[in-house]
Amino acid sequence: MKVRQWLLTVLALTLGACLAAPSALAAGKVQITWWHAMSGSRLKVVNKIVSDFNASHPGIELTALYTGTYAETLTKYVAAYRSKTAPNLMQSYEVGTQQMLSSGAIIPVYKIPGMVDETWDWAQYVIPITNYYSTAGNLWSMPFNSSTAMLYYNKDLFAKAGLNPERPPMTWAEVESYGKKLLASGAVKHVMSFGWPGWMLEQQFAIHNQLFANNENGRKGMATRVLFNGKFGVKVLDTWRKLAKENIFLYGGAEYSANAAFQSGQIAMLLQSTSSLSGIEKGSSFRVGTGFLPRLEGYPRGNSVIGGASLWVTKGQSKEQLRAVWAFLKYLAQPKLAVEWHKGTGYFPAVNAAVQELLGEGWFSKDQNYLTAFLQVLSGRRDTAAATGVRMGPFVQIRQLERTAIEKATSGQVSSKAALDEAARKADQLLADFAQMNK
Amino acid sequence: MENVVEEEKFPGHPLLPYLLILPSVAVIVVFLVFPFLQSVQESFFATTAFGTKSVFVGLRNYERLFTSPDFRASAVATLLFAAFVMVVGLSVSLAVAHLLNQKLRGQGFYQIALIWTYALSPAVAGAIWALMFAPATGFVPYVVAKLSGGYLMNWMTNGSLALLVVSAAATWKMLGYNIVFFLAGLQNIPEEFVDAARVDGAGPWRTFWDITFPMLSPTTTFLLFVNMIYAFFQVFGLIDIMTQGGPGDATNILIYKLYRDAFLYLDTGAASAESCVVFVVISVAAIIQLRFATRKAIYAR
Repeated sequence: MKVRQWLLTVLALTLGACLAAPSALAAGKVQITWWHAMSGSRLKVVNKIVSDFNASHPGIELTALYTGTYAETLTKYVAAYRSKTAPNLMQSYEVGTQQMLSSGAIIPVYKIPGMVDETWDWAQYVIPITNYYSTAGNLWSMPFNSSTAMLYYNKDLFAKAGLNPERPPMTWAEVESYGKKLLASGAVKHVMSFGWPGWMLEQQFAIHNQLFANNENGRKGMATRVLFNGKFGVKVLDTWRKLAKENIFLYGGAEYSANAAFQSGQIAMLLQSTSSLSGIEKGSSFRVGTGFLPRLEGYPRGNSVIGGASLWVTKGQSKEQLRAVWAFLKYLAQPKLAVEWHKGTGYFPAVNAAVQELLGEGWFSKDQNYLTAFLQVLSGRRDTAAATGVRMGPFVQIRQLERTAIEKATSGQVSSKAALDEAARKADQLLADFAQMNK
Repeated sequence: MENVVEEEKFPGHPLLPYLLILPSVAVIVVFLVFPFLQSVQESFFATTAFGTKSVFVGLRNYERLFTSPDFRASAVATLLFAAFVMVVGLSVSLAVAHLLNQKLRGQGFYQIALIWTYALSPAVAGAIWALMFAPATGFVPYVVAKLSGGYLMNWMTNGSLALLVVSAAATWKMLGYNIVFFLAGLQNIPEEFVDAARVDGAGPWRTFWDITFPMLSPTTTFLLFVNMIYAFFQVFGLIDIMTQGGPGDATNILIYKLYRDAFLYLDTGAASAESCVVFVVISVAAIIQLRFATRKAIYAR
């Protein structure tokens, strides 16, 4: 009996201490919250950044909350905004950009230094990344985790098929001829798959400098019509369709579900986000090679598009809170931190100085594959809207429509043109609705 | 002080019963009735994602729904899915329950082995099936390819196959639940009836259809209802893990479409209209089923 009483007392005291501790510690601190969608190994990196930030900023208590996937985080943010309980800072995926711009719920980051009586050098950020999140030359959200897409290939299977393992295919024609050799050698039954199919279609438009939607890809004014069912889109989808018919292309599902086939050696090539690099290298028992996204011959050069997410600052905070949020955003821009972020997650560091530092320490010569990811996005042109990437209000739905079109066309159900036309018709309706509601 | 209470009269203040049921009524009103009325209202509006602007559009959301081929395709997929879950699911579980009801050695083991699927969360069940059927790495496509001499079973591109696999997974997941109820129903049937039929010269088949099946009808009715609700509303997790509505929207059943429109696309108007339509359809189906079934059901005593 006595023991039990003791235990209860101890338990009650511990509980009380636990409850009291944070509030006691936080007394007099500026409280800010950040909602993000970083899970798994990325969550660990985020948590370390946050605790280091709190340790080095005694006046601020930043609480970072994992609020589910990007879509869930955005849904929760909307609900919270409507009930006036939104966090100070939130992470939104790139397809949510126009939605956030039109929301009226946020402060564009370029205005924040002025609001807290500071100045800031915006030129320190990597240009293709800031371009993506800028409107009329001004940055609206803070780049955080940025990636692009590239080609991964299995060097061992290439060697087995008599191909040069150090030379990835550069064009779709080469993908086809390599694919035929790989099939003929019996090394694989299928050759290539994609992650994020809709995004890969968008990538093809961008790397060939083709507009995906009107009004300069929705960057000059709001996009009201998609252009992906034009000649170029049909050409791309026909290429994939042909590869599917020849058993070279194997549709692998949404997001990261195709990675398993690549990592188990069932296929020899994969188009996937650069952020999968460390995962794929760690999880594969063969030599992993990387290359640029395959191109169509005879089209102009553009640039690959940025994916990932950025950080948005909520409107209507007190000046102290805004100052604290800004302190955190500045903290993220430190080269040391950006390097740590890159090494921990594979996402691009957002500041130029961090790229310099990585170059200086020989990070890329240690693993060429990381260099491919950088060159993929840094070697293209930066001056056209087509190469910067498309911006649409109902982007999440439209990307889904793209995926459906790709599924229908590559499985041979309908022609490429018919699949894209159907998707475009629906997309135009969505764009019209969005434009009407967000005039 | 009145100590003697009449039997029919409630002891205490006449309003007390209302007070006592108030909490449950309040829960229902706050969490069911009120949100429902709200979504009825929102189905007549077009609203921006952040709720900054809301425009009355009359019946436009419904009009779009009924003229949209996507909604029709989704409704057809839902009906096929529900029919599979109800018909195949109940037939198989009745057959299994009947077998389990025989006196055989190791009965307890078989019962547990067949019932445990119900204890799995939809996420786990979905992951098991997705891994089993993964086109390039899964066990089932591998076996199919070996047996058929190279047929590639890729449900990530084949819509009908995907719907079939998802339906099978959903049925499998519910099997344990159905078996438990059928087993209980079977064990409640007095053995005299079965013996009497046997004495009259009825074979096992005849006995089953003329004695066992009719006497099980309350259980069957109940399970039909539960499985319908399950097929319409409770398979979200399974779909989300396995196909996310793909390929080409082949498994985009209504509940998943609703989730997408509401939470992914932030289109409350369309999603509200859909939920109202689903509500009406389910209510009608439930009423018909209960009416029809209570009339026909033979309640054994």
